[in-house]
Amino acid sequence: MNLDWLNAFLISGLFEVVVVIGLALLLHLELGLARIANFGVVGFWGVGMYAYGVLYVQVDWPFGDPWQFLVCLALATLAAGVAGLLVGWFIADLDLDGVLVGTLGFATAVAIVATTEQDWTGGALGLGGLRFPFDLDSVKSEELVWLLITAAVVAAILFVVWRVHRSPYGRSLIALGANEPLARSLGKPTFRSKIWLFALASAGMGFIGAFYGIMVRFLELSNLGVEITLAAMVGLVLGGSARVWGGVVGVLLTVGLFDIVIQSYLPLPRDWYTQTIPVMREVVFGATLIVVLLFRPLGILGDMRRDKLMRKLHGE
Amino acid sequence: MDLITQSLVIGLSEYAPLVLAAIGFALLYRLTGLINVAYAETITLGAYFGVWANTSFGLDFYAVLIPAGLLAGLVSVGTYLLIFRPAKHRSVGALEMIIISFGLSLFLRYGLQLVFGYPVRFFEVPPPDTVWVLGVGVASYRIIGVASVAVLALLLYWFIQRSRWGLQIRALASDEDLAQVSGIRPLVVTMLIWFIAGVAGGLAGAFFGVASSVAPLLGWRQFLPILLIVLVGGAWGIGGVIVVGVATGIGLAAMTLQTGQVLYAQLLLIVAFLVILKWRGRRLTESAKV
Repeated sequence: MNLDWLNAFLISGLFEVVVVIGLALLLHLELGLARIANFGVVGFWGVGMYAYGVLYVQVDWPFGDPWQFLVCLALATLAAGVAGLLVGWFIADLDLDGVLVGTLGFATAVAIVATTEQDWTGGALGLGGLRFPFDLDSVKSEELVWLLITAAVVAAILFVVWRVHRSPYGRSLIALGANEPLARSLGKPTFRSKIWLFALASAGMGFIGAFYGIMVRFLELSNLGVEITLAAMVGLVLGGSARVWGGVVGVLLTVGLFDIVIQSYLPLPRDWYTQTIPVMREVVFGATLIVVLLFRPLGILGDMRRDKLMRKLHGE
Repeated sequence: MDLITQSLVIGLSEYAPLVLAAIGFALLYRLTGLINVAYAETITLGAYFGVWANTSFGLDFYAVLIPAGLLAGLVSVGTYLLIFRPAKHRSVGALEMIIISFGLSLFLRYGLQLVFGYPVRFFEVPPPDTVWVLGVGVASYRIIGVASVAVLALLLYWFIQRSRWGLQIRALASDEDLAQVSGIRPLVVTMLIWFIAGVAGGLAGAFFGVASSVAPLLGWRQFLPILLIVLVGGAWGIGGVIVVGVATGIGLAAMTLQTGQVLYAQLLLIVAFLVILKWRGRRLTESAKV
């Protein structure tokens, strides 16, 4: 297949957008529905990415791809889910400050373990040896196919999130986020709901992390920076944290702007792309969070439809 | 015995700025109940202001402490007036406030690179003399740092617990409406507390910076220990923050000496504090606020 028309920057930019949309959708379940601010998104994604990398590269499996890929991916997702279960148990009965400490502490702990356990993770030197679970005629074709597979996975996550919104479990999470003591007094199992929410969302983040690791094929500690948490959070907040499509709209407008429009289409001096643009990206993301929460806290898409309907019914 | 003396000397000399930063953060937390994530950048900015004054005007390290502290204090007040005060007037929720401070933290961390440049910066100071304390060699800057932090911590403690302004600050933290009808001007007192917290953070940043290097992540790397110290120690007031801060420094030094790896020590510290936090539950953080 002739892919000369396709810019390599465009593939990596689109992949970044798709990955962050996936994380923003999972964060939406925690922040948008249950009102739990997970500041450790990068920790769960990092567990998935590094668990996959270590299992794939360091373990001598008796079988090759695609079974090696599938087994490693399942175990990496399980590792992230178990981590989410533990963190969820820790923060379930704590207030906002405890949630911040718990999730931030977890992300820091993951970064420390990835740095210190050099024999497994490669530490500061990085971990190479990852590859796609299929062989095509060129790297560009492989990356394009991987982008499409990842996009299909994220579309599936979007569908699951959409279903959760309309399920009894989703309504229970909304009740929990709106007034936890009231939800508990009405017999909702709030503690259990929070723990399962964290376990499932974290497993999803780890799953996406493993996909990211395969695309970059070389794991570095710089992948464990707070920037990925910021990207998911700013996209979700800008689009509307209460809405299913909020993360999609917000990430397209933020990560899409920088990683696709500016990266691929603006005629800027070449040296800007190495330092100035990445720094400007984070400055703009930080400022966007502040401005949106000050002036339009519900984001572009606004409140949930059911809340809008209730207000209309009550004549507000 | 060697381990104990080494831990004491290294812990106190190396982590004294952490205690100072924790006191500043605790003041803000007790007054507003806000976890201001951007406090990490107040520390970083203090280091950058210090290295700027040092390299641009040739001021020695002790002289740069004045602009470093004052400018960081002014930035702190500026963030309150431009962001947190309007947010409060707009009745922004507690969760959103933390996210705003997270956004501000990243805005400042990356924004300062556009202002001060990308490379890591170093203070231009003469090599420090080695002072022997209980058989352990310590750089003279660190000794001065410990003494300065001790004096500043006591001054802050006295200011909050004994002075008229301190009384107003505590009154405002307890009940803003009651404080207002008692003649306390909330805006002035609140600005004062943000300024003091900023000065403490800025000075801590300058001390951290002269001991190693000045980089955008300088403050962020200290933020989690500061947060943990304040949440655990804050239950017993500013005195509790000082005690837990000092104990943390000594503990980190002891664990580093034992494991030979500072990151393992930090990991153990995080786990230990999280266990305490879980054990104490909601009561801990609530009691640290008032």
